[in-house]
Amino acid sequence: MNFSTFVTDKAGLHKFYEDIMASHETFAPVEKFGKFDFKKVTSLSECDPESPIAKTLSIKPLFFPRSAKVMKYVATSSGTDVSETDEDHLAGNRVILGVKHCDARSLQVLDKVYNWDYIDTDYQKRRENTVIVSTRCDKAETHCFCTSLDYDVENLDALDVVVVNGTEGKIYIKARTEKGETFISGMNIDNRLSKNEWRKADDKTAGEIKTQYESFAGSFRLKMDYKEVNEKLSKIFDTPEFENVSGNCISCNTCAFVCPTCHCFKISDEKVKDTGVRYKSYDSCNNGYFTLMAGGHNPRPVKYRRWRQRAMHKFVYYKERFGVNLCVGCGKCTISCPVNISIFEVVNQVSAASMQE
Amino acid sequence: MEKLLVPTICKVDKVIQETPDIRTYRLKFREEGLMEKFTFLPGQFVEFSLLGSGECTFCIASSATRKGYFDCSIKKAGVVTADIQNSIEEGDEVGIRGPFGNWFPLDDIKGKNLLFVGGGIGLAPLRSLIQYCIDNRSDYKDFTILYGARTSADLCYKDEIKEWQDNKSLKIMLTIDKPEDTWKDNVGVVPKILEEVVKPVIENTKVITCGPPIMIKYTIQSLIKLGFADKDIITTLEMKMQCGLGKCGRCNIGSTYVCKDGPVFTNEQLKMLPDEF
Repeated sequence: MNFSTFVTDKAGLHKFYEDIMASHETFAPVEKFGKFDFKKVTSLSECDPESPIAKTLSIKPLFFPRSAKVMKYVATSSGTDVSETDEDHLAGNRVILGVKHCDARSLQVLDKVYNWDYIDTDYQKRRENTVIVSTRCDKAETHCFCTSLDYDVENLDALDVVVVNGTEGKIYIKARTEKGETFISGMNIDNRLSKNEWRKADDKTAGEIKTQYESFAGSFRLKMDYKEVNEKLSKIFDTPEFENVSGNCISCNTCAFVCPTCHCFKISDEKVKDTGVRYKSYDSCNNGYFTLMAGGHNPRPVKYRRWRQRAMHKFVYYKERFGVNLCVGCGKCTISCPVNISIFEVVNQVSAASMQE
Repeated sequence: MEKLLVPTICKVDKVIQETPDIRTYRLKFREEGLMEKFTFLPGQFVEFSLLGSGECTFCIASSATRKGYFDCSIKKAGVVTADIQNSIEEGDEVGIRGPFGNWFPLDDIKGKNLLFVGGGIGLAPLRSLIQYCIDNRSDYKDFTILYGARTSADLCYKDEIKEWQDNKSLKIMLTIDKPEDTWKDNVGVVPKILEEVVKPVIENTKVITCGPPIMIKYTIQSLIKLGFADKDIITTLEMKMQCGLGKCGRCNIGSTYVCKDGPVFTNEQLKMLPDEF
């Protein structure tokens, strides 16, 4: 299907965003302490859909909350009352603005694990009810490597609407999915803006969008051959190199918590007197207790084995199981790591060591 | 996902002190009609909640051929299992999710000789299959159970073992690690007794084994030595699990989800996994 493209400018784009916020439940990056997190917004003054990628947290919590109440329970003299908790505040029809391409891709990656065998219907509903509006980056940051991975960043269909900065102040708005096409046409933006401010793209537009992509793709410092990494890692379970790359790790788990594709969680209870709450919260395979069993047996008792699991899960196991890498190359783990470990460096260093063996 | 994690309330119908540190909890769903709908096969497991303390993974230790209840045998091993033993009494309520996981390969073992090799609390998952096979006894040929524990006091299901011993169609062999004054049965670790006393028929036999990880390891080595093929050795893995739904990422061994693809594996399948369990 051929989706529509429109040409506008900064003022038109902002009008488009304001219209979305006025008519839809909208989430967008909101700045707090220098970091941007996706929050519900009603006006452009509260948020910045062009927030810098290095300072923006992922959209994962809008689909997989950081800590969600599973249920409440009360022990009474007549028995235990279990109640499912509050209504899902992420289940409504909504639009997310300012999503980075890597972050949008992470949803396609997460779809695989949430939709196999037991279907996570909460997640699925949140996915179906969401329109993703994504601004394409103009330039890669130092930690970025999305273009090196197993997805087509240029033609990504994990997002519904893409916003591309053109030359001479022009901005292109392009539908990428049927959902995006229906969404844009439903906004009726051309009724409110003049032909100069908002018009259908002409023959030259596709070429200009391509030029922008080429300039963006040319700005990457980090490059890797993911197929080579997939293949080499799959053959070197026992390499001592995992000890070298994980030596500095303080097992703080930050990398997993900020990662848009990490999806491990824990189930925990908190009870005071007769009333308790059960939570489902983010967890990480870097935690020493993650696989620790009652009685003391732990298949991954030491740090390098946990790092091996992290690297292998991302570049071997998930790919084997679900056909995609469990990494989108966003670099969020690297930016947030207190000891400056980079997943890019880890998998490349281990792969390189495997060549020497 | 959150809704899938909400347990259903069960009442503890009976608590049986099996050994000094193992108790069996016989459970029934509180809500009428749910027990009949709770269908499971030998080898499957449940998530067992002591509300306020937490949720743990336990195999179902009884067979659905014994209707109206299901058993979980729990050994005091960590925080939640200690809380369970210290606080749960008959009539109390617990939360259950499940059944989860795969089951013993019932089609493959039909028409075969069965050899069960259990150690300690590892008899719990085997008991589900043993009961199932006893209740369908004509489907199987020779039926041997080798069960060991550290001491005679540590043998689980003592009353039921007596019933098995009285059943002439079953061959029961017991062993403990060290001699005791009143003990008349075998003495020695399970793999040793397996090799020296049981001396099983290899042909047309399926072996189902479970016990402490170290016992499973040496038992499998003995079975291979005796000439069993990897595909005829079946075991059930103990891994840390939480969701039971193939989502939380805890039980992964390589790209295998023990909670979905297991916990029951043949040795042929285990050999394909990274050595990390």
